[in-house]
Amino acid sequence: MSSDERTGLYVESTIIMTTVRVVSPFVLTFALFVMFHGANSPGGGFQGGVIAGSVVMMLAFAYGIDAARDWLDVRVVAALASGGVLTFAAIGLGTMLLGGNFLEYHLYEQFISHVVAYAIELVELAIGGIVASVAIGLFFLLAAGFGHAVDSPEDES
Amino acid sequence: MIEQLPVLLVVLPIVGGSIPLVASLVSDRAGWPVATLTLVGQAGLAGLLAWTVSASGTVSYAVGGFAAPYGIELVVDGLSGAVALLVAVVSLGVLAYARQAGPHSNAFYGLYLLLVAGLTGMTVTGDVFNLYVFLEITGLAAYGLVASGRDASAAVAALKYLIIGTVGASLYLLGVGYLLAATGTLNMADLASKLGEMAAYDSTLVLTAFGLMIGGLTVKVALFPLHTWQPDAYANAPDTVSAFISALVSTVSAYALARLLFSVFTVEFLAAVPVARWALVGLACVSIIAGSALAVSQDSVQRMLAYSSVSQFGLVIAGFAIATPLAVVGATVHLLGHAVMKGGLFAATGVIERKTGATTVNGYAGMGSRVPLSAFSFAVLSLAMVGVPPAVGFVGKWYIVLGAVNAENWPVVAVLLASTLLTLAYFARLVERLYFAEATIHSEETPAEAPVTDGSGQAVSFGMIAVVVVAAALAVALTAAVPAFEQVLRDTLLPILNQ
Repeated sequence: MSSDERTGLYVESTIIMTTVRVVSPFVLTFALFVMFHGANSPGGGFQGGVIAGSVVMMLAFAYGIDAARDWLDVRVVAALASGGVLTFAAIGLGTMLLGGNFLEYHLYEQFISHVVAYAIELVELAIGGIVASVAIGLFFLLAAGFGHAVDSPEDES
Repeated sequence: MIEQLPVLLVVLPIVGGSIPLVASLVSDRAGWPVATLTLVGQAGLAGLLAWTVSASGTVSYAVGGFAAPYGIELVVDGLSGAVALLVAVVSLGVLAYARQAGPHSNAFYGLYLLLVAGLTGMTVTGDVFNLYVFLEITGLAAYGLVASGRDASAAVAALKYLIIGTVGASLYLLGVGYLLAATGTLNMADLASKLGEMAAYDSTLVLTAFGLMIGGLTVKVALFPLHTWQPDAYANAPDTVSAFISALVSTVSAYALARLLFSVFTVEFLAAVPVARWALVGLACVSIIAGSALAVSQDSVQRMLAYSSVSQFGLVIAGFAIATPLAVVGATVHLLGHAVMKGGLFAATGVIERKTGATTVNGYAGMGSRVPLSAFSFAVLSLAMVGVPPAVGFVGKWYIVLGAVNAENWPVVAVLLASTLLTLAYFARLVERLYFAEATIHSEETPAEAPVTDGSGQAVSFGMIAVVVVAAALAVALTAAVPAFEQVLRDTLLPILNQ
């Protein structure tokens, strides 16, 4: 598929653009709400991350996939994915430095009170970041199509 | 530090696997050094852990400080310590091959380390649900690695692998659900004590759980009727990936199957429900015969090796299902030996293809003089796989046969002996081609015409040949390590097998 055909699929619509602009902040807030509720009620990083990722997909539908791709900084996506993993690992390994087992949250209690809840929230946020960035990455990869990969075989990764 | 080792073995490759992604903002070629550093550390930790286990017995670890059976427990005994060490060493060795053979992208090495994390996790876990999680991590990473080939056929093979592999993992998960319904626990040791007590061994619930869990894992091991994903995945993936997953993915799944058999369902279950044992032994025997027959009829060398795995894993599972200490030691030795031999064989096919363009049995004719070192290693590995002494393939098969004789399981003995002849049939044909046949591919017509399977160049580096030669040397040298290893295994297995 050439890039002409791809942009041909995009129809600029004031209604969609306005709606997305209004709805996006609420969707992102809802995503954070779901992530923060992961510790002790239904929800969590996986579901919240997908909702957060869907914000970028809505923007892509409203403003065009290529425009969204240009707007989005790939460094942010990579940092979210790797940073999420590293945050999770750091929280887990930190308790081992304090003499406990992996992810033994309550050892942080000596620094901050109620830290078990905060630590779990932080892990959920980290998972949310990973899931959101992977969802966004998959969306743009699928949108690029297989033709993109065949056209430029030298362009790895 | 020592008591933290089991969890560090899983966390280290996950952390390492997340770095190449960030590193790609700086450099396109950062993946390989990061993976090498991580796996050198991993091999060191796994070696330390295996040494600790062999010196002072089982190490268990409560993740998050939540005591078993409620928390997730990691347990490393002689068996899992050996498999964890194998995973670390083989994945480090394959990296030496990947340096030149590629793929070179950072994303590839991220997936590579993720697969190491999944395999290690499957090895060290002592919790059946946790095993499912790592089974899925292993599966997803393996699908991605198979798809990293340049050809469209790699994508098709990965899709097939994904669909069949997911069905297998789902069956396993369903079985875990039944076990949870029967006993209310997911911890392996706890399950072993509650099964038979809270739910009779021959109750429908436990039998269904056994069928689903073992059935799901046999898909991952690729026993005969459930092997259909495996030849395509091995033959169409880049050579690096073929060597890596043929050495480790099915191996660790077979380890998990043994772990379920002995540490969850236990030998009392096998004694109480003879039909379960006979079903497993029957499946293994069919796999041995059918895998060998299919291997003999293949034209492509890589597909032949893939079908050979179907047959060899039948042998391993038969050893586990007989469940006498001798047979289980034999199956474990053959499991670990097969990983080294099959990985080495796939690596050798990659080298021979790059140098001469030969991919088929007929194409291998006369290549013994064109690529002497690789062809010689290939021949050594082939004979080791057949079970010619003093190679490690002989020791494993010998113990399995002795175990079957001691158990007076004569049909299995017959199949095991026949399988050696069948293995000889397809490997001897190749070795004969390599050394005693007129070349069908001549040197002047090859390099430009050679098919590019993954677009990563045709050059063969010193590292690639070194991997093949080291694998061949190990296939023979490991025999010397068997007596010491047998002692460690017996210490681990005798309590498990109640002998």
